[in-house]
Amino acid sequence: MKETPLSACERDFILKAIEEKKRLDGRQTYDYRKIKISFGTDYGCCFVDLGQTRVMAQVSCELVAPKESRPNEGIMFFNIELSPLASPAFEQGRQSELSVKLNRQLERCLRNSKCIDTESLCVVSGEKVWQIRVDVHMLNNDGNLMDASSIAAIAALCHFRRPDVAVQGEEVTVYSPEERDPIPLSIYHMPISVSFSFFQQGTYLLVDPCEREERVMDGLLMIAMNKHREICSIQSSGGIMLLKEQVMRCSKIASVKVSEITELISKALMNDKTARKAGGRCGFAESMPQERITALKVDETPVETADVTEKASSIIKEAEAPPPTAPSPVVPVPGVGQVGLGLQNTWGVEEEEELEEFSSGDDVEEVTKMEEDERKNTKGDVVEISDSEEEEVVILHPEKPQKAENVKSSFHQKGAPSSKKKTKQKP
Amino acid sequence: MSTTGGMFAVLKEKVGQVLVPGDEFCFGAEETISLSESAKPERAVCGPGLRRSGDRLVVMKSGVLRHKPPLTFWIDSQQKRYVATKGETVIGIVTARAGDTFRVDFGGSELASLSYLAFEGATKRNRPNVQVGDLVFAQFLIANKDMEPELVCIDGSGRANGMGAFGAGGLLIKVSLGLVRRLLAPNSDIRLDLEQLFPCELVVGMNGRVWVRASSVQQTLIVANLLQSCDTMTTQQRQQLFRRVQQGAL
Amino acid sequence: MEVSAPSNVSLREFGCEQSLLSRPDGSASFVQGDTSVMAGVYGPAEVKVSKEIYDRATLEVLVQPKVGLPSVRERSQEQCVRETCEEALLLTLHPRSSLTLVLQVLHDDGSLLSCCLNAACMALMDAGLPMSCLFCGVTCAISAYGQIITDPTSAQEKESRALMTFAIDSKERKVMMSSTKGSFSVHELQQCVAVSQRASERIFQFYRDSVRRRYSKSL
Repeated sequence: MKETPLSACERDFILKAIEEKKRLDGRQTYDYRKIKISFGTDYGCCFVDLGQTRVMAQVSCELVAPKESRPNEGIMFFNIELSPLASPAFEQGRQSELSVKLNRQLERCLRNSKCIDTESLCVVSGEKVWQIRVDVHMLNNDGNLMDASSIAAIAALCHFRRPDVAVQGEEVTVYSPEERDPIPLSIYHMPISVSFSFFQQGTYLLVDPCEREERVMDGLLMIAMNKHREICSIQSSGGIMLLKEQVMRCSKIASVKVSEITELISKALMNDKTARKAGGRCGFAESMPQERITALKVDETPVETADVTEKASSIIKEAEAPPPTAPSPVVPVPGVGQVGLGLQNTWGVEEEEELEEFSSGDDVEEVTKMEEDERKNTKGDVVEISDSEEEEVVILHPEKPQKAENVKSSFHQKGAPSSKKKTKQKP
Repeated sequence: MSTTGGMFAVLKEKVGQVLVPGDEFCFGAEETISLSESAKPERAVCGPGLRRSGDRLVVMKSGVLRHKPPLTFWIDSQQKRYVATKGETVIGIVTARAGDTFRVDFGGSELASLSYLAFEGATKRNRPNVQVGDLVFAQFLIANKDMEPELVCIDGSGRANGMGAFGAGGLLIKVSLGLVRRLLAPNSDIRLDLEQLFPCELVVGMNGRVWVRASSVQQTLIVANLLQSCDTMTTQQRQQLFRRVQQGAL
Repeated sequence: MEVSAPSNVSLREFGCEQSLLSRPDGSASFVQGDTSVMAGVYGPAEVKVSKEIYDRATLEVLVQPKVGLPSVRERSQEQCVRETCEEALLLTLHPRSSLTLVLQVLHDDGSLLSCCLNAACMALMDAGLPMSCLFCGVTCAISAYGQIITDPTSAQEKESRALMTFAIDSKERKVMMSSTKGSFSVHELQQCVAVSQRASERIFQFYRDSVRRRYSKSL
């Protein structure tokens, strides 16, 4: 599916507004949209809302063999999924330019910055290490996916707990969370990416571009930084020439934003911790905004099952009503066996009833009803002989010939010719 | 009329209520149209969201049942995706020129075609000045599920009648189709509230696109943001917000 | 062991939020206990020529797991949901167009398939696509002691002898789709169907209530 094209009028207006230091959603130049961080029921699951942009990160772990070059280090694996949920332009399972760019940036931001102690993830040197996998799913794309992903990924890593292990000689025991409390990862620092978009060849600069601003911008600068003001990665794209002063200014803005966001993440982590300690419910279900009219929730509800057993029994009883004759196979000619009702070749026979296994009392009733309808409808109608080669005369219920007489009108079933043999119609 | 009154009475009772897909209205057994009776039954008009299936009227969208005398019924639903309907006016974005036609995106399932000649005063020699990326306000000449939709920027007598290319200096926003219908309704209360704020120009397409232009960028942005938030507010909430804006912005 | 009369039958608390994403044409998140699924629908939109069907819309269902890439399990869930949706939607009204339904698993604590079905139905309704009826999913587990448990958690699922999920339509409470695992008798199957039909009434009432709440400001 294609993205809606951006009209010339939108482009002109956005640029004109930026010149006047105005943004579409009323923000100032250096403002972030509202950030909301919430955690899932699992450890290592984090949701981030950045305005309308939404992402989810989930951390998981697995025991694997280490890389030969680094036998004492655990492995970090990052995967950003551009799910088609987020934007109609994203396709499933296709590596687009954007997804490569985002994945690469996240790796540089979180793996190459050595913010996680990978040596502590080693279980048996050269044989078993933990592989930490971070999946980031885009849920809604309203611009600046990178910043949202980096916040979600680092918050999820901080929230994650891996199972405890014990090594006795050759044997490695992994304890379930019930046996031993799972262990958090050791994280040295928290790099967070901050995006700057440039307009008019770098004359104007905006923090946290939204989707429409992203489509108009000339260039993008992403700076990953931690709260100690250490730059972990810096990337400029879009082919824009930046001056040294511009980069310096951006890094100064980034340091302010990063300390704010770090604060927010720590607060969210604390809240989650206290909620978990108090034994309260946590997770996505709890973060549903109850006050909105688009949301509704109901408490646990019992299901009335008073007559369920009787109903089931009666259905089965009725279903078994047709005599369960044990059919003995008939061998009409050597090499051919026949089992089943009638035991005749029904080709060329003009009527046939298909007995369905579960045809119960209900079905019989339906058929009779239909018969009556049929009669009503065809009253006065000329009995039409169909012009297909085979006559489509169907007699319903051979057991009740007096009724069948009345219905012996040809009834057409539109569509596939195979329907001729079915007497059961959808009501 | 007694034969069909039964069902319509039930329908009218439900007007203003919320219905969901699968809800049915059925002619009773005695209400089936008998051939012997010569009088023609009243005819109901099923609008969007309603469908006739045999002798039943079936709801196929969730929303509020609306009624307009004598017997027009439809479901008023909030949705985002537009489905082209003949005669409706929409805002389209020109995406390409192909031979003698423009290809226009209107937010539906395929692009519509718009002929060079379907503009007021256009001839083979005198082609309209429309570029890729421009906005056009146009009407559907052909719109049905089996054919490629076709737009025109002239009415039956060849006049522009407000249609054509436009868009300089304004902002295009996307709102829900329900809001667009409320804006276009005669004596729309949202429109009346807006008029009291400050003068602005609006072009409203049935496809959920609204183009806004006010005297300044700031005012255009205010109107755009107000409109986008109207969907989730009651009348009172909206009037309160508008009042606040009026006090703050002026 | 045959089932005794179902006793421990209840649905966990469930909830839904509609239109929560700005990009898709219809979206919903559905929560059953801790199990939660987010669904988004795009369409009727442009269709690829290779997938075009001349007389009806092409429905694509994607289930995104939380960890890793979609596997066989997700494919089978996709198929279950797709077949149910195809039955409920009036696809012939939008020929040569595409409908894309994306289901993102947010948390799996049992009864995932039924939660997917419920989220799908709410999202389709939110998108305003023409439907002949609504549908809902109910999962039943038969425990080792022969008890029927509706809407089981993952722990209950693990201990169960059989697990079945039914999609039930809102008009006649008929079974539109069933997916079963484990062994059970005909009697147990019929009982589970009957229980699911009962449970579905609650969910359909919930659908109606949430739609009513949603339109409460435009009445």
